[in-house]
Amino acid sequence: MIIELGHYALVLALATAVIQAALPILGARLNDRGLMELASSAAVACFLLVAFAFAVLTFAYVTSDFSVRNVWENSHSLKPLIYKISGVWGNHEGSMLLWLLILTFFSALVAAFGRNLPETLKANVLAVQAWIASAFALFILLTSNPFARLIPAPGEGKDLNPILQDVGLAIHPPLLYLGYVGFSVCFSFAIAALIEGRIDAAWARWVRPWTLAAWTFLTAGISMGSYWAYYELGWGGWWFWDPVENASFMPWLAGTALLHSALVMEKREALKIWTVLLAIMTFSLSLLGTFLVRSGVLTSVHAFATDPTRGVFILAILVFFIGGAFFLFALRASHLKAGGIFAPISREGALVFNNLILTTATVTVLTGTLYPLVLEALTGDKISVGPPFFNMTFGLLMLPLLFAVPFGPLLAWKRGDLAGVSQRLFAAVAIGLLFGTAYYYFMNGGPVLALFGIALGVYLIGGSLTDLALRSGLGKVAGNVAWKRFSGLPRSAFGTALAHIGLGVTLIGVVAVTAFETETVVEMKPGMTVEAGGYTLRFDGMRNGSGPNYSEESGHFTISRGGVAIDEVWSSKRLYQARRMPTTEAGIRTFGLSQLYVSLGDQISEGGIVVRIWWKPMILSIWGGTLFMMAGGFVSLSDRRLRVGAPARAKRPKTVPVGAAE
Amino acid sequence: MLFWILVAILTAAVAAVLILPLLRAGEVPSSPHSHDVEVYRDQLDELKRDQDSGLIGSDDAELARAEVARRLLAAGESDRNVAPAGSPRRGVNRVAQVFVLLCLPAVGLCLYLLTGSPGVPAQPLAARLADPNTDINILIAKAENHLAVKPDDGAGWDLLAPIYMRTGRVEDAVDAYDRAIRLLGPTPARLGGYAEALVVQSDGLVTTKAQEALRQALSLDPNDPRSEFYLALGLKQEGKKAEALTAFNRLAATSPADAPWLPLVKQHVAELTGGGAGSGAAPGNPSAEDVAAADSMSAGDRQEMIRGMVESLESRLKENPDNLEGWARLIRSHVVLDQRDKAAAALKEGLKAFPANGDGGKQLLALAHELGIATDGVTQ
Repeated sequence: MIIELGHYALVLALATAVIQAALPILGARLNDRGLMELASSAAVACFLLVAFAFAVLTFAYVTSDFSVRNVWENSHSLKPLIYKISGVWGNHEGSMLLWLLILTFFSALVAAFGRNLPETLKANVLAVQAWIASAFALFILLTSNPFARLIPAPGEGKDLNPILQDVGLAIHPPLLYLGYVGFSVCFSFAIAALIEGRIDAAWARWVRPWTLAAWTFLTAGISMGSYWAYYELGWGGWWFWDPVENASFMPWLAGTALLHSALVMEKREALKIWTVLLAIMTFSLSLLGTFLVRSGVLTSVHAFATDPTRGVFILAILVFFIGGAFFLFALRASHLKAGGIFAPISREGALVFNNLILTTATVTVLTGTLYPLVLEALTGDKISVGPPFFNMTFGLLMLPLLFAVPFGPLLAWKRGDLAGVSQRLFAAVAIGLLFGTAYYYFMNGGPVLALFGIALGVYLIGGSLTDLALRSGLGKVAGNVAWKRFSGLPRSAFGTALAHIGLGVTLIGVVAVTAFETETVVEMKPGMTVEAGGYTLRFDGMRNGSGPNYSEESGHFTISRGGVAIDEVWSSKRLYQARRMPTTEAGIRTFGLSQLYVSLGDQISEGGIVVRIWWKPMILSIWGGTLFMMAGGFVSLSDRRLRVGAPARAKRPKTVPVGAAE
Repeated sequence: MLFWILVAILTAAVAAVLILPLLRAGEVPSSPHSHDVEVYRDQLDELKRDQDSGLIGSDDAELARAEVARRLLAAGESDRNVAPAGSPRRGVNRVAQVFVLLCLPAVGLCLYLLTGSPGVPAQPLAARLADPNTDINILIAKAENHLAVKPDDGAGWDLLAPIYMRTGRVEDAVDAYDRAIRLLGPTPARLGGYAEALVVQSDGLVTTKAQEALRQALSLDPNDPRSEFYLALGLKQEGKKAEALTAFNRLAATSPADAPWLPLVKQHVAELTGGGAGSGAAPGNPSAEDVAAADSMSAGDRQEMIRGMVESLESRLKENPDNLEGWARLIRSHVVLDQRDKAAAALKEGLKAFPANGDGGKQLLALAHELGIATDGVTQ
């Protein structure tokens, strides 16, 4: 009965969402307080209903209730508890329910914390949220119902896809969805502003925390997904430009642009229309990502859902929301008043530059992702657009942006002084070049581009620190005064610096791994040794073992340096019984920021096995950088002060910064 | 009943939550710009704080203040232009209440009755294991768990094999019969069951492997009707009509008058003597649902269904020939339908996708050999 009650709660959530979608908008039109206040109650009720349904489904998973078809298809009674729970969203139906849960969660947050919002704006925002919720609830109930029953119930489940039975993938989807769906709030704010035909600096102030939160979670989700792919798929790569990865990366790029343009809008009331457009674009890309992954139009390691009826339904949702939003934009954008003016060389100008490049990069990734699909649909030819395309186009686009990043926070609002800023950044440039050369010398023989890349990364870090140092007046005023000023800086300034430092750290990791990693593929017999990254690996032999729902073969390796054994590592291949599916569990050892990565291949001859060994220099800084970015996001989020962009007439850096900051 | 009471309570609770703000409504909302004004005031305060703490110079602060003040004025201005809202409209409010009260149960019940399964209880595995009762799947699961630990318990496999067969898990049935025969020794029942499972596995075709088992069963018990039937069917599928007729006739003669298989035997006899084309309705079909459907059909319909399935399989293979299992099934199905020339043609097509010197091609050729299809001239 509890299962059916959960199902009914989901249906009731849809009914509530329909009411929430219809009445508050009417209330905003008629200026009727009762109808508008209904939005908040409905949003909270809707969230509670979906949360109850989600809890019931989780309960069915935990108790291995195979009379629920979804549980039977994706669970197994012998699975460890954590994977029984993560199995809830490790499949199409459950992950859509998670999507809806997070969407209604954000609506409820807007309802609860949006007391300072004008009532009409709040009512409209919640109504738009409810449109999205209604569409997705209907989609879930009609095409992907996780509560469908299976009578008589089978005695055992079919198990979760083994590559998804992993801690990384247990937390990756919730983080990613918090990001994806978080942008729905920005979208709803944009649509509400278009409906009202009114937008101003205060609007940007209200949207800021939502953009910031969504961006931070999306960063975390992408980073986690990348690390999971790195250690679980056994290929040793950390980013594949796989369409599913691109699907999450595009909203991130657009979201980053949104973050920065919303900043300009809040401070200087400029770029209003552009910001609204970006808010629409960002969530549209989230929807597109959902469509790409969930409709099964892609065939890749991630795509575990295939059903054309779903594809058509999601496509309809996509067309309605994206098409509708752009139509509304075309209709209303001209009614919005344009805001403040600024010179090309100014903080605003730098942010526009940032926006131009990020949007171009988004379009580039979008093209590379969709082109094969369009081509296949039109001609039937199957091609894949691989890393070479993205590395060339995306990499080249990013170069000028990365170079410009430290300039942004140092330039003054309205009109800036490029020469002055360059002077101040001289130290950072010098340090960057110094480190780059040192690294080049150290690794000696590395490609010249790597030198430039490392230098750029260090320059990013140095530039961010320069900004903080200049603002606290280090060197100009007495030490204790500088410290006082430093600790008095707005938290968003630290957020900006952290996020930009993170960018530099990630860049250093990417360049180091790309340029200096070594890969050795060799057939090994017990006793043989291989050199990698200055370490010696000796293969000691294989051992058979078993886990709760799999059996495994593990190879043991001893790692030594200069003849002294310093560490050991196990690398295994698993076979999951229920699905008869093999997975690799790479053996990874960390030395500082670098890693030794050992993956087993096929057994070739008696006692001999193919072993792939990678030396990944500085690889951890790729994800370490994203930790900095996330920290920057949270620090900025905690800054509840208002921002005012004081327009400068003379050269001087000003208060609040760019970046993840906002 | 309890379920419907809970459904009613849940619906009523949500309705109450939604109606409450409508009932409370009375005050006219504050003006839309008053919030903007607040934000701009805060901005001015913030500016002052920044200036006091030395984060911003006085010139800059002055400029910024001027900008914010302009916005503040504009917001206050537009406030004055907004006409004060009239008293809340009673009519609209009433309509909204009715909408809420109707929408919740209407949408809720309609969709739930469409998609839900009211009355089906939750069935946690632990509870089912503790009290299996008549839950066949749990009994199977328990037996499987037992056999996973003690795989040489022949009696267990012997018990499980026919159950697998009945629940449509043909592959598992073949495996279970095989193990039971190896562990406990052959009996006519086990051998017959094994052969039957093999026949169903190969879409109704009596393969040479099945025939061997059947012959062995008959050597143990010459009067085992099931073995006799399938052997006769095998002869018929091979095109040996006279021998098949003799075998069916002998089976009919030795069977008791009320034997349940007699009508089927007689049907085969009739077909063989009548010489009707496309005969030989196979007793095995791909899945449990198909079997159930086929059971309730007349012989003609069944033949139609098989033909339809073969045609759809054929067209699917034409679009995507990279499907070894599909080709094997297509060849088998043609043989079952007594269309040997088509089977040979399918083999030829299949070998285009899987060359004869590759693994897949070899499997197809071996299959053709087993079914007695001419392989000459297809492997040039």
